[in-house]
Amino acid sequence: MTAAGTTRRVWSVLWPPVLFGAVFLLVWELIVIVFDIKKFLLPAPSAIFAAFVDRTSEIWDAILVTGTNALIGLTVGMVFGVAMAFLLMRFRILNDITTPLAIALNAVPIIVLVPVFNNMFSITSQTPRRLMVTLVVYFIVLVNVAKGLRQVSPTHLELMRSYAASPSTILVKTRIPNAVPYLFTALKIAAPIAVITAFVAEYFGGSQDGLGYAITSNVSASRTDASWAYVVGACMLGLAFYLAAVGLEKVTTPQQRVTT
Amino acid sequence: MSSDASASAKPQAAAAVRVDSVSMVFNAGNVNQVDALSEIDMSVAAGEFVSLIGPSGCGKSTLLRLVANLLAPTSGHVVVNGKTASQARLDQDYGMAFQQSGLFEWRSVQKNIELPLEVKGWDRARRRERSREMLELVQLSEFADHMPWQLSGGMQQRVAIARALASHPPLLLMDEPFGALDEMTREHMQAELLRICSAADTTVVFVTHSIPEAVYLSDRVVVMSPRPGRITDIVAVDLGGTRDEDTREAGVFFEKITQVREGLRGTGLGDGQRGIEDR
Repeated sequence: MTAAGTTRRVWSVLWPPVLFGAVFLLVWELIVIVFDIKKFLLPAPSAIFAAFVDRTSEIWDAILVTGTNALIGLTVGMVFGVAMAFLLMRFRILNDITTPLAIALNAVPIIVLVPVFNNMFSITSQTPRRLMVTLVVYFIVLVNVAKGLRQVSPTHLELMRSYAASPSTILVKTRIPNAVPYLFTALKIAAPIAVITAFVAEYFGGSQDGLGYAITSNVSASRTDASWAYVVGACMLGLAFYLAAVGLEKVTTPQQRVTT
Repeated sequence: MSSDASASAKPQAAAAVRVDSVSMVFNAGNVNQVDALSEIDMSVAAGEFVSLIGPSGCGKSTLLRLVANLLAPTSGHVVVNGKTASQARLDQDYGMAFQQSGLFEWRSVQKNIELPLEVKGWDRARRRERSREMLELVQLSEFADHMPWQLSGGMQQRVAIARALASHPPLLLMDEPFGALDEMTREHMQAELLRICSAADTTVVFVTHSIPEAVYLSDRVVVMSPRPGRITDIVAVDLGGTRDEDTREAGVFFEKITQVREGLRGTGLGDGQRGIEDR
């Protein structure tokens, strides 16, 4: 495929949402002007853009704080999730004990634990937020990877047994490769959720340097345009995490059909 | 049992597979107890092509898995290549192919064929040499580096056969390998299978639903009946000379098809055979 052909193909996929986005912003701007909507209720896109440009460096700093929390939580959660998935597969008894527990925990909106975590650490600590992200990511990764390790095609298993393959050979040559797409599915789900969690966790108090805190504090100070500017920053951060996850999948599994 | 059973096309001296009064019961003592096989005796000579045919639930796949030692019989003995079935499995004395090609989708065609050799611990150069040879045999050399999903169903099945034969096993066990293919591809694959197996001098035990497929491929067709699964007839198929496209038009081909069909009717299910393809 030629580079020009690729560009044309990408553009043909891209132009409808881009056009829609542009029209949406234009209509928003017009509604604010025509109905004379007050700035503290709903600022126009142009006002938000101006506020964003005004505060670029503050927004960037806030993105770094929240982004670091999300990234640390995401990484630690993945490591523990994958490790636990292997343990669950290896020891059936462990699985029988933890599965009902995991289902029960899944029904709990675990974000409510943030104030409890906040109470356990000093007020300026980022640890409760990172802990929160870790916990959320951990369950997503655990469930998906455990499924990938276990849901191996019966034909593959029969073949491996007909080769007289040992359990460890079956693990390396069948179960782990089978779980890789599940890991990336988990990563694609978990990456944006890690950002959302890192950022919602800031709503519950604690240190005051992240995106979430900036949004709430600007809203309460009636600087609506500024809080919207931070929302734009949050969108960019979530998108960056998701694209990084997709990119990682494309780089590491070049020959497989990549599903997005 | 018909008189054809003794008039086998090939001598019975060296049995590649011997099944002695084998019974298989699933969930024994349970309410959902299933008598899958009852008192099966069967012998397959080296180099012979034997098909197992019968309606769904007659235990033909179970019998194949007993030979493969993927299941252990409730009673009776299975001897493969003069060894116990489990020793034969440990020695990789057989290759296996299923209705699903069962290719590993993260491995290239060549890497799929090399998988049984990897498990056996062959070094890279030797594996590569053998996979090249097998690709040539199934005429897919130019697809060595393709991924499975880039191939058609028939090509995937050919790769699966190449993989099953990669370690040059003396025995090939096949469970409805062409069941998911369209009729044209299927006939082509049948001819290919005969060519490949005669080139490698392989013994084949072949499970199928299709009467013409069984007759076209086999030296003997073993007819089975369900609940409990048992052998009701063995039809020797001597079509004379090599089998080619003309074989499908020959009178003796249709005679044998009729004979197998009558054997199946004798299984007590009447004319409305379920799960048997009469085309």
